[in-house]
Amino acid sequence: MACALQMLINTMKVKQCLTDQPDKDATMECFSLQRTEVPALIDHLRGFGEVIAPHHKGDVSYTFKPVQDPSDVVLDYNRTLLPLKKMFLPPVEKLMDFSLKDGTFTKNEVAIVPRVFFAIHSYEMQSILRLDHNMLNGNAESNYLNRRKSSRFVGISFEPDEFHFSESVGIAIEEMEGFDLFLNKIDDDYQLYVLTPHGEELIKGFGDLETVETEIVEGRGFKKRIRYHYNRLPRVFENSYQSHVWEDVANRCVSCGSCTLTCPTCFCFDVSDEVTVTAEDGTRQRNWDSCMLTNFAEVAGGENFREKTINRTRHRLYRKFKYITDEQGLPWCVGCGRCTAFCPAGISMVDTVNELIQEDEKAQYHKNTRG
Amino acid sequence: MKRIEDVAIADAQDLYSPIMCKVSRSKQVTALEKFYEIEMPAGQDLGHDPGQFVEVSVFGVGEAPISISSAPGKKGHFDLCIRQVGMLTNVLKSYEVGDAIGIRGPFGKGYPMEKLLGKDILVIAGGIGLVPLRSLINYVLDNRSLFGRLIILYGAKNPKELLFEDEIAEWSTRDDVEFHITVDQGDEDWTGNTGVITTLIPGLKLDLNNTVAAITGPPVMYKFVIMSLSSKQLPDDQIYVSLERRMKCGVGKCGHCQINGVYCCQEGPVFNYAEIKPMKEAF
Repeated sequence: MACALQMLINTMKVKQCLTDQPDKDATMECFSLQRTEVPALIDHLRGFGEVIAPHHKGDVSYTFKPVQDPSDVVLDYNRTLLPLKKMFLPPVEKLMDFSLKDGTFTKNEVAIVPRVFFAIHSYEMQSILRLDHNMLNGNAESNYLNRRKSSRFVGISFEPDEFHFSESVGIAIEEMEGFDLFLNKIDDDYQLYVLTPHGEELIKGFGDLETVETEIVEGRGFKKRIRYHYNRLPRVFENSYQSHVWEDVANRCVSCGSCTLTCPTCFCFDVSDEVTVTAEDGTRQRNWDSCMLTNFAEVAGGENFREKTINRTRHRLYRKFKYITDEQGLPWCVGCGRCTAFCPAGISMVDTVNELIQEDEKAQYHKNTRG
Repeated sequence: MKRIEDVAIADAQDLYSPIMCKVSRSKQVTALEKFYEIEMPAGQDLGHDPGQFVEVSVFGVGEAPISISSAPGKKGHFDLCIRQVGMLTNVLKSYEVGDAIGIRGPFGKGYPMEKLLGKDILVIAGGIGLVPLRSLINYVLDNRSLFGRLIILYGAKNPKELLFEDEIAEWSTRDDVEFHITVDQGDEDWTGNTGVITTLIPGLKLDLNNTVAAITGPPVMYKFVIMSLSSKQLPDDQIYVSLERRMKCGVGKCGHCQINGVYCCQEGPVFNYAEIKPMKEAF
């Protein structure tokens, strides 16, 4: 009986989480929220589904994981090691189980589970909106869609450190696109924005909140910047294919793939079959892959279409600032700074782009003075 | 940009599950290449265009992109001819009639057949490049009156590596096919041309306004063949190339097959040369 009731509740939850936003514009509301009230808010959000939020991982790092104790959630963090994409495109994901005895297989259906992602930075949300395009445009992928449709997002403002540069790629600290709720830090407390009908549902029944006038916070500046507006970068890249900057980068790069592994918009994967020790059955799974690894573009027979490091380091940045940007008008880099912060060779994304800009300026100058 | 609101749960596709098919004929044709006729379940048709490919799936080993070698319209069946060169293809070596084989596809863009109607078709095949081009050749032969001349240039390393020998014999005797063959190195029985495939091009008399060339071969071949065609003044947009890349997923998701910003598995593997020429990673 209890089991049947639980199943009914689950079915209702799934239905609820799949409801698309009603076609009305939510009137944006803003409430004041004390820092001390945040654990209670997290607890309240558990009524919708599993809450996933940043936690400490060791002394200096952070990770997104399901909340056990709301007081463990970290509200002030610079960035997690792995991006939020891991919750939508897991590093290893089973696609199917197969039997080697009779050659049959069973597809791994990804369950629709209501989840709330809490204390998410704006650049991270923007990376999910970009992944939406990659996974849903053309052939829409069911695994991704099931995870994505049942998700809600609660954003939080952050203090940029020496690696963040999201403003340079058009993403403000308080960019609220994609979020249902947003916590903007004011002094030590928060302003809670209710942004969508989904957000209204999430907050329903959470005590008495006091409506406040929205405040703009001054002085949360970015320390790291790309010198040009992002819409000028495709032209710089157009001229930079043969730039010596790529050689400088390639000479330092150790092809470890850390930059793509931690990148919130990288989505490349490989597929591999794992057979059990009895060799009777196994699973087909996909694993994150990286265009920075030596054999990424290698075909059977040994031909490697991006054999040299310079081919690969260049390809990665063109994928961020040129190829899809030409089509979609947006950089596919969100300025989280992970590739730079976690690069063992100290290669900086922003410095590389700024060097390309400088080289391009020099080339333009010479062209003009000669002409 | 595609947004989450634009896609309903029902719109999503099961992109990675193969259709289980059976080998209905097989033949080792050279030391390295084996021919397979694949039977679709319940008489289904693959529904492909010449030049497209499938992902061949073997549980426990994985998947690999393989060109379709038969012309469209072979009811319930299609052909593959596979060189044993990687992990999956070496396992396939032992596959015989009745063995199950997983298939996803057809994928990618093949030859724009409607645009080719009425044209003289110049097929230039190097080595196993003949495998995908056989699909185009047989399509033209199946609809012979809809096309102009059919000129086939085929080059192989040596006579032992020649594929589809029965069909080659037929092409070389038909008067509606102009068939030219060369091997890099002949043996004692070889009486035909020797030399690389480009040696067959200067002698061709082409109607430049009405000829379309389709080239497939090893990566090194394209540059030289295109140079020869260009020196005959064949315009770039009348040349089609089929490019090999690591098309792991076939559905434009996994990222492996990108040629600069283009997904080979979506926009290719058959490309109009004028369109792919500016892509620096293409050749």
